[in-house]
Amino acid sequence: MLNIDCPWCGKRHETEFRYGGEAHIARPEDPAALDDTEWAEFLFMRKNTKGYFAERWLHNNGCRRWFNVIRNTVTHEIVGSYKMGETPPKLPKSAGGAK
Amino acid sequence: MADNASWITPAAAIAESFPDGFSELRPCAQVNLRGDIADLAFTDAVKSVTGLTLPDMPNKVATGKDFKALWLSPDEWLLVGEGDAEALVQSLEDALAGQHVAVNDVSANRTIFELSGPHSHHALMKSSEYDFHPRVFAPGDCVQTLIAKSQAIVEQVGENMFHIYVRSSFSRYVGGWLAEALAEYNEAP
Ligand SMILES: [Zn+2]
Repeated sequence: MLNIDCPWCGKRHETEFRYGGEAHIARPEDPAALDDTEWAEFLFMRKNTKGYFAERWLHNNGCRRWFNVIRNTVTHEIVGSYKMGETPPKLPKSAGGAK
Repeated sequence: MADNASWITPAAAIAESFPDGFSELRPCAQVNLRGDIADLAFTDAVKSVTGLTLPDMPNKVATGKDFKALWLSPDEWLLVGEGDAEALVQSLEDALAGQHVAVNDVSANRTIFELSGPHSHHALMKSSEYDFHPRVFAPGDCVQTLIAKSQAIVEQVGENMFHIYVRSSFSRYVGGWLAEALAEYNEAP
């Protein structure tokens, strides 16, 4: 069971949250200018990081806000949470998995 | 005024089996309010209508004369009281005209259970992963979490008294669960 820090509500159990996949993927400014390959790249292609990973979470059974979390995909260590638009927290030096 | 005195929820079917210290409250007025708490025009207008200073601290309750405000999210509150929801919506809409806000009567969305007595927090702790221990959760606090896997708002209204807001359609299930959770503490020693 992960304990996830909602930037507003504080630490809650994983069951209150919904996973939202990789963070920091910007929607193309002008979707109509993209060809199918580029659009598919934006829509479907995601990193499969082993180690520290910036991902989105939704506090869907609490305040219903989206926010970002840095989590180690190998050890489940959570480095920190930050609101949309905020700077991610610094990664610890001793990486639990390959970067 | 909307006549909601006769509203019943699915929990009414099992109300007779509820133990001492657990009951479903009669319907009251509930209004969902959204707006920017950093905007004085918004907070002043809300205060002029309700007398409330909206809580900006997460999971806190502010109490006014006729209504209280439960923090639901950074820009959202639930106003709860015995008054007239339609009249409150109307006066808020008038006072907030032209502002980027949302005011909605959600009185029929959730029903409210009252859980009281020296073991009320034990019954909650048994039913949720959230920590309802008195050292963490106190009167004036509210929380949105899962009670028996159902989304609920829990508000501590007194030292040994809680209000649990659940979707009306879930009320028979959650009501039955909490009644069962409390029952063991009421058994004669
Ligand atoms: Zn939250």
